[in-house]
Amino acid sequence: MNIREDARRAARKVLEQGKAQGVLGLREAGDGVSPHLFEDPGDIDSLVVEPKWLLAKLATGILKDLPDDYRLAVMCRGCDERAIVELIKRNQLDGAKIHVIGLACSQEQARACLCTRPYPSEVAAGDVVEGVDPFQDERARTFLEGDQRERMIRWATELKRCVKCYGCRNSCPICVCVPCKLEDDLWVGRGEIPADLISFHLIRAFHLSDTCVACGACQDACPENIPLMLLQISMRAFLMQEYGYEAGTDRERRSPMLSDLTKEPSPGYEIPGWVDSLKDSV
Amino acid sequence: MNLGFIKTTCPYCGTGCGLVLQVRDGKVVGNYPDRDHPVSKGSLCIKGWNAHEFIHHPERLTSPLLRKGKTFYPIPWDEAIDLVVERLGRTAEKYGGDAIGGLCSAKCTNEENYLFQKFIRAGFQTNNVEHCARLCHSPTVAGMSQALGSGAMTNSIKDLEGAKCILIMGSNAAETFPIIMGDIYKAKDRGARLIVVDPRATEVAKNAHIHLQIRSGTDIPLICGMMRHIIEHSLEDKEFITKRTEGFDTLNEYLTGWTVERAAEECGLDGDMIREAAETYATAAEASIVFCMGITQHACGTANVLAICDLALLCGHVGKEHSGICPLRGQCNVQGACDMGGLPDVYPGYQRASDPGIRKKFEDAWGRELSDRPGLAVTETIGSGGGDIRSVYIMGENPVMSDPNRNKTLEFLKQLDFLVVQDIFPTETTQFAHLILPGACFAEKTGTFTNTERRIQLLRKAVDPPGEARDDFTILCMLGKAMGLGFDYTDPSEVMDEIASLTPLYGGVHFYRLGHGGLQWPCPTDDHPGTPFLHKGEFTRGKGLFVVPEYTPPVESPDHDYPYIFITGRMFCHYHTGTMTRRSPSLNRETDKPFVEINPVDAARIGIRGGDAVRVSTRRDAIVTTARITERVSRGSIFAAFHFFEAPADALTIDALDPVSKVPEFKVCAANLRKEESDGLS
Repeated sequence: MNIREDARRAARKVLEQGKAQGVLGLREAGDGVSPHLFEDPGDIDSLVVEPKWLLAKLATGILKDLPDDYRLAVMCRGCDERAIVELIKRNQLDGAKIHVIGLACSQEQARACLCTRPYPSEVAAGDVVEGVDPFQDERARTFLEGDQRERMIRWATELKRCVKCYGCRNSCPICVCVPCKLEDDLWVGRGEIPADLISFHLIRAFHLSDTCVACGACQDACPENIPLMLLQISMRAFLMQEYGYEAGTDRERRSPMLSDLTKEPSPGYEIPGWVDSLKDSV
Repeated sequence: MNLGFIKTTCPYCGTGCGLVLQVRDGKVVGNYPDRDHPVSKGSLCIKGWNAHEFIHHPERLTSPLLRKGKTFYPIPWDEAIDLVVERLGRTAEKYGGDAIGGLCSAKCTNEENYLFQKFIRAGFQTNNVEHCARLCHSPTVAGMSQALGSGAMTNSIKDLEGAKCILIMGSNAAETFPIIMGDIYKAKDRGARLIVVDPRATEVAKNAHIHLQIRSGTDIPLICGMMRHIIEHSLEDKEFITKRTEGFDTLNEYLTGWTVERAAEECGLDGDMIREAAETYATAAEASIVFCMGITQHACGTANVLAICDLALLCGHVGKEHSGICPLRGQCNVQGACDMGGLPDVYPGYQRASDPGIRKKFEDAWGRELSDRPGLAVTETIGSGGGDIRSVYIMGENPVMSDPNRNKTLEFLKQLDFLVVQDIFPTETTQFAHLILPGACFAEKTGTFTNTERRIQLLRKAVDPPGEARDDFTILCMLGKAMGLGFDYTDPSEVMDEIASLTPLYGGVHFYRLGHGGLQWPCPTDDHPGTPFLHKGEFTRGKGLFVVPEYTPPVESPDHDYPYIFITGRMFCHYHTGTMTRRSPSLNRETDKPFVEINPVDAARIGIRGGDAVRVSTRRDAIVTTARITERVSRGSIFAAFHFFEAPADALTIDALDPVSKVPEFKVCAANLRKEESDGLS
């Protein structure tokens, strides 16, 4: 199966059948690859699917400027689709205006991203490969497990490299707060690098604890190669373990962090033990 | 839907990162990192992420402006062009062509810089063409050319990732070249040793294995001490020295005076740290040296660069994939502005203006007689009170903010018969112009930039310039035509074809070859793939030359009246004279006022607290700024960034020059510091 040809076929079909007026995807031209809004099926011949280049954030920005009746198709990897779902759930995107064309990632890409779900809900192009368990990755484990002190040193060594480009925030499809907490003088000092280890990086990470779709855009954008995804992975794993919740995969369910768990446990899930014990101690 | 994505090149530093500009209805509405870019690979620094913010700023210059008294009035382009030609012509007629000076721009494209120097050289028979490279890497061009035969970064940025040891001298790359810093960290993660030489405890220094916190201006003693230690322990690359270099014996003799103990004494360091650094660098299988303004901006700048070349030659760490000498060039196109002959002694491609054969080649091509007299260095001209220069054309430079000892610059500009300044914003320099020409910014033009690793990349037009502003290519073509010089180019690509025909380094460079990733010079022919690293097998000059780096201490030392060493430099969220970054809301939010860094011990002694207004003075001038108390500077040293017009650091700096390259000693002068009792800002 040729993923690029299948992707082109799917994109062309969407335009020809009028399911969307435009397809946001990647185009390869003389200047290399860049995002492009394809509106003419004849142009689809230049559509490509590599490199990994997330489009959910671009789609959000573009849709704001498009006419109300415009329907936009987006070439989506699994994480891109999850980001779009999450944005729809949080009223940042109008789901009726979006059409997802799903791309499955390669095994190599899944490994590079430590991705647990390297495919969207419906795959139009690419072969579905199994997800990767980040807790089996040797390097990831040195950041996620073991002696707390050692881990703290490891993290401090990495985060000390931060040059405060805000690329992690700027590239994150889910980072949409206005004003941004990272621009609040109470938490983050101005005008010096590195950015505060705790108040910059952990505020950013916790702000995304139940919305992060593990796309890795933050890490991809980091000029100093700080393994920012590993900050999110343990929180994602916790949400899955305790609440069976994964951001962006369930279109209906609210985040457990927005629910009153003692009153309204999500159907099918038990109240985690520590919630009850918390109640007892009050 | 009128929406598009334009790939182009970042207008800030010399890394040359890839931007994708999002354009809607003739406006740039977004800016993203280019994930498909060979250098930046989807990353940007804070400046790059916000590079679009000044494009549509309301203060953009939108019409030619003529001074009448103290006020500027808009005039039509044809009048402006006629006026430039008439006034410069009158000066040339009255005083000769050498009474004209031109400053081209490291912020403009190769094509524009080529046309600018052609306009000055062919139009007025003078070699008085200069630009801000004089203020930064002129010692690099001079020193590396002498030792190796080429003044450029020997290797590619990505080569750093594979080095086993990186010696970083006088570069705060984490703030000034954040993307390149990422490649350095990659090397560190793969086991490379990082050695940093810097009088300040910068973020680079804090993340290094060894930080040699030398006394400002003692780089030569340090390197000499290291070299002597290397030779004493037979760690030099004897085969490399024999086969590929000359002049070793003379250097070796000079080094006998430089024991590690003497070096340690001069530098204020522990001798064992010098020994460890020397052994680490010498014994690494592949090692690179990265250096920047901390090396060059000294009155012994050229000797500093020569010392670096000596060290690399001694250990055989040059001319290989992961081993080289890497000066990081500051401006987006400072490499290109030098390559294009924006210097008073060379035509494009470093072809010497003093060589009659070369001159003949350009006379034939340009159809004009050219001057055989060498041009003047801008720092020398201003330092000597202007000399014989009567009229000046400045394209995209702001010398009032960027040149040392500001009062001298002001004196020079005020006494000119005619000053025309071409820029995108009103600047501290346009205030003194008789005529202002509105140029175009990076997003409004087509052309090429050459980055620090000699990569020639396309700049692609995304939107039109505002109002009556024109891209600098068009302005220069109008001027050239009015001067009768031809200049009937319809497109910048034709200029590059002309450059290629006259410049062997760029011989195979054409726009159609630059689509994705560009080309690294030397690229002599149309089928040449470009050159990722220089001096493979043979140095450009043949053999690598060891040159004795004579040590001269800084011109000013701290004394009773001026007890502090004053260091200037840059910071992560602003760029140079601030013309663009101070108008970028996200960057100005990060830092919106000037500051001076003071060590806590010094601050406590003179009763200064963080945020206090302080007066910093030198023998030249004084500024009032805000105290920032930090251990980043050592006791007895203070640091100020030069981005802030409210407290211009370069009002204070000394205009002592390196005798070879004429670079000013921006990095060291003596200063005094006291708390400003009133609010001080009035």
